[in-house]
Amino acid sequence: MSVKERLSGLRHFVTDDHRYVFLTTSLVAAIGIWFSMRPRSSMSFLAGMYAVEVAMYWFLVAWLALSAVALIFKLTHWKNYAETSPFTKPQVKPIIRWLSYLVVIVTLVLFVDRAIMGFSATMQTALAQDRNPNDFLGSIIYMLDKSADIIGQGVITTVELSVFGTLIAFFLAILLVFLRIQTIDRSDNDFVRFLKRFGSEFAKLYSTVVRGTPMMVQAMLIYFAGFGILRNTGMSVTEIGGVWSTFIAGLVTISLNSTAYMMEVLRGGIEAVDPGQNEAARSLGLSQWQAMIKVVFPQGVKNAIPALSNELVVNIKDSSVLSVIGVFDLMFATKTVVGIYFKQVELYVVAALVYLCLTMAASWLLGKFAKHLSVEPAPLTSVSDMNVTVGTVAGTGSSEHSLDQTKARNQQGADQESQR
Amino acid sequence: MADSTNQPLIQVEGLSKSFGSHLVLKDINFSVSRGEVVTIIGASGSGKSTLLRCMNLLETPNAGHIWFHGEDLAAERVNINRLREDIGMVFQSFNLFNNLNVLDNCTLAPVTLKKMSKAEAEEVARANIASVGLSEFVNAPVTSLSGGQKQRVAIARALCMKPELMLFDEPTSALDPEIVGEVLNVMRDLAESGMTMVVVTHEMAFAKNVSDRVVFMDQGVIAEEGTPEQIFRNPRQPRTREFLTRYLED
Repeated sequence: MSVKERLSGLRHFVTDDHRYVFLTTSLVAAIGIWFSMRPRSSMSFLAGMYAVEVAMYWFLVAWLALSAVALIFKLTHWKNYAETSPFTKPQVKPIIRWLSYLVVIVTLVLFVDRAIMGFSATMQTALAQDRNPNDFLGSIIYMLDKSADIIGQGVITTVELSVFGTLIAFFLAILLVFLRIQTIDRSDNDFVRFLKRFGSEFAKLYSTVVRGTPMMVQAMLIYFAGFGILRNTGMSVTEIGGVWSTFIAGLVTISLNSTAYMMEVLRGGIEAVDPGQNEAARSLGLSQWQAMIKVVFPQGVKNAIPALSNELVVNIKDSSVLSVIGVFDLMFATKTVVGIYFKQVELYVVAALVYLCLTMAASWLLGKFAKHLSVEPAPLTSVSDMNVTVGTVAGTGSSEHSLDQTKARNQQGADQESQR
Repeated sequence: MADSTNQPLIQVEGLSKSFGSHLVLKDINFSVSRGEVVTIIGASGSGKSTLLRCMNLLETPNAGHIWFHGEDLAAERVNINRLREDIGMVFQSFNLFNNLNVLDNCTLAPVTLKKMSKAEAEEVARANIASVGLSEFVNAPVTSLSGGQKQRVAIARALCMKPELMLFDEPTSALDPEIVGEVLNVMRDLAESGMTMVVVTHEMAFAKNVSDRVVFMDQGVIAEEGTPEQIFRNPRQPRTREFLTRYLED
């Protein structure tokens, strides 16, 4: 939608008559009344204007009463409301409309005064404290301020793990799915047959084992196995820490784990491609491999894009289990901060909200990306109402002939129709 | 058109095929000479499509031989991909490559298999697309075409490999009646140009007017074969007569 369209849409929204004006604005007014009954904070700008606030309060109450009258009138005059109601008279209608805008504005002012200024005040006092405040919101603000670098480091690590892990897994999954879906062709020799069989069985086994064990256990196994192997080569613990850090081990775990799931997603997408596509490619003489690469796989990946992008969202969340091997992700960072302040609920609420923001941002971006990737959907045309168009190149006499024939057939059909 | 002194281009010998315990083709013997147009007719389930699909090994026969270029297609480990290059196939459901446009559909196999340059393949493809009357759709995505146009592109795609034999598996059965004509006309032109064709069809007029030989299949065997005049005017087998009266009544 262009800016111009948006603007004109907005203008119509403001100027048009609203059929449910009382129903919606009475709800808005009720919210405004609720805000006005909340205690004023230290930063409230309405505190010095008591008379204004009283006027606003009573205006909202009056609007609620008016709405109630209008709604009752409508219920009792259901059949001929438009003719009999005083609220639908052409002189009254614009007044009601402008009053309804005033209701929204008053409520907005109250919202800013109570909610936004209230939040700012809480923040100001919390940041000024030198020990953790007792109120929920103040405590969260105080802790976030004091440990911003810890949480920030955790968020960065989580994003790195999930993004790089998903990308690596995608490429590994492509390799693995090629191994998985191979079938033996008639022209293959024994060696190729063996390799194909071996590859396919390997991929199956990999998928079964990885999807059948928890990622937490996999993380432990991979980290300590890598650690043990490097220890055997005679490296010291600090040297190993430089090469085989918990982050690297975590990245390896999440990549290998996600590979198995992505392979199954890709396989599903490929198997959903019409077998006729493969048959047509094979009938032209393409080998199984060529038909796969050039025809089936591109369509299969396209089928799988929605489910593949879901893997990133899953990885953002599941990377939290990597904290067991000491990867400094968001989960580990939150645990660290909890260890300092012992405010479990406050901090895990923050962690949940950050994870939620990350996953929502990821799925929004991936949605855009998927839209960008897939070709514009072709217009749906039925077979029968499509015009037969004939090539303009010289030497297409045969097809002109065919057009005539088609026309003749159409004509015949029409004649038969009219005779019936 | 058919020269009887020629070696047959493709020869089917003692071909049998079963799906599970269901025997679909029973000891079929059948051959096609160079330049001949053969139509296979018969009721649904009589095995005519299976026979056609066996002829380029989209179905693997259980027994028998299919001789083509002196090689047995049905033999284990024959290079079927090489032999398929010379056998074009047109499917009932078109099976155009949905991820490619019309031109790329036609150039994919020649570029991949014939080691043609892209430009050379495109030239051949454009000529073939023009011969089916679709020049203005060269760059169109295949999903935007109508059924009849798709089937004509499918024919052009097969022709780009310069096949010696074209197999048509009910090419008009998925089309609306008023569209059938445009596809049949392309096929008629192809027949007139001397292409060897085997056509499985329910279009009796095409079988009667275009083909050199008609094969009637019933319950997995070739019940009767002969010239169109003989089959349509004077069928010898009662089964053929019954099938044709049912068809010609409609």
